[in-house]
Amino acid sequence: MRTQKALWLLVIVIFMNGFLMNELKAQQTVVDSSVLDRITELEKQTSYNKPGMDHFMVVGLATVGFASIKNTTTIGGVSSVSKTNSFPDADHFEFSPMLLWRHGQKFLLEFEPSFSGNSLGVNWADVSYFAAPNLIIRAGYLVLPFGTYSKRLAAGWIDKLPTDPMGIADMAPTDYGVEVEGGLPLGSMKMSYDLALSNGSQLMPDGTLGAGNITDNNNNKTLTGRVALLPFSNSSLEIGVSGMFGKVGDVSTSPTAKGNAYAFDLNYVKLFNPILLNIKSQYNIQDINSNVAQVDSLPYTSNTHATSFFAQGSIRPTGASGFIKNLELAGRYTTYNNPAGSNGLIQNAVTVGLNYWINWRTVFKVGYESYTGNINAASTSNKINSLFLQFSIQL
Amino acid sequence: MKMLKMKNISLLIVVLFFVTLLPLLMDSCKPSQKVAAKSGVQLWAENCQRCHNTPSPNTFSPEQWETIGMHMQTRALLTQSEREKIVAFLKQ
Ligand code: HEC
Repeated sequence: MRTQKALWLLVIVIFMNGFLMNELKAQQTVVDSSVLDRITELEKQTSYNKPGMDHFMVVGLATVGFASIKNTTTIGGVSSVSKTNSFPDADHFEFSPMLLWRHGQKFLLEFEPSFSGNSLGVNWADVSYFAAPNLIIRAGYLVLPFGTYSKRLAAGWIDKLPTDPMGIADMAPTDYGVEVEGGLPLGSMKMSYDLALSNGSQLMPDGTLGAGNITDNNNNKTLTGRVALLPFSNSSLEIGVSGMFGKVGDVSTSPTAKGNAYAFDLNYVKLFNPILLNIKSQYNIQDINSNVAQVDSLPYTSNTHATSFFAQGSIRPTGASGFIKNLELAGRYTTYNNPAGSNGLIQNAVTVGLNYWINWRTVFKVGYESYTGNINAASTSNKINSLFLQFSIQL
Repeated sequence: MKMLKMKNISLLIVVLFFVTLLPLLMDSCKPSQKVAAKSGVQLWAENCQRCHNTPSPNTFSPEQWETIGMHMQTRALLTQSEREKIVAFLKQ
């Protein structure tokens, strides 16, 4: 009886074991396949999200504004006044998305179309090749390295004031060409170089220069270059000199006409706690020497000597607390003397502004500008007082 | 005459600038020990404010900072080592 009981028990235990084993096995296979599925799925996802070598992003800027302008013209002692109040004008409305492609660590492509002044244009379109550690080679439609304003400070969210200083950017055109540039360590100092070879500007009938020709008007290439020194190890001060040399005349009419220009620039940014001080300045000189053959075939030289200058200071209490640290006060003095074109011989402007920085790349500006100019004839003068409201954001 | 003088002075300044830079250049383009030891965060604080407000590292993703680092090297003419250190900091 006992052995029979024991036998039955054994049979039951064996049966249960078998059942449990089967169950376990079945469970194991279920677990295994779901884990495998999950792993395959994750593998798929990672390969889908594999970063690759390339990267594309859209940056750029948008600026909207309002300008209230009072223009007083005095001719021979008699004044007339005109007023305008407008939302977007050429200086105060711009929408410019910038497309940036990066191929690994070697290539960077930039294209910035721009809607401004009621038309669609292109600010620059170029390819940069990072050839060696401190050597970048660029080709395409480039902002020439003349001074610093055009290339570095003109964007609405960078500029401390709502207007551009007159005559400064005009002398640093965008042109088709090639460029080499880079920064170099120099002990506790630093330097940078930026050299470009381009088609060059073209002398216009009114004595001013036009730029951006796809066919060179004289087959002579213009050399533009800037060298800068940052004498302090904290990079607070940068001084630069630039030169631009090339023929500007059309090959058929004035093949010897030359345009030489020089620029000197200074940039100083330093925190004197709690105030961040920012000083920027640039002085441009442009000489155009055109030898035009007269009817009696005696050479007649017509020279144009133009200069432009701005000095700008701004302070921001970055060390303060609350909303005060987002405020910035800026002032600028500008002169522009150009006998050619319709600009006028002696022009100057004083611009002041108060900015509120919503964040590092978003600003609201209020500015006031007082401009005086003598249009070529000495008896004609022009006074313009303007109030600007501007909002600018980096895209 | 005045124009010629002005041009000569400008040319002189440009030439002088190159002449003074030349010996410095020949001293070989190496950073001093103090400069070489600078951290990414310090270089970020010193360099980015030269043109615009210092950007917050939170603004962009690591991939985007890589692209922007190259872009800013073309604008600010940072040295390669400065760019690499700043980008490494911004990616954190
Ligand atoms: C020499 C001036 C200069 C310095 C220094 C500078 N930037 Fe810029 N930065 C610019 C300009 C100009 C733009 C606007 C875009 C343009 O014109 O190409 C810009 C744009 C940007 C943008 C917007 C995205 C883009 O690529 O256009 C970011 C982000 C930026 N800078 C980050 C930095 C950082 C980080 C540093 C410090 C390493 C720095 N910048 C230093 C001039 C400068």
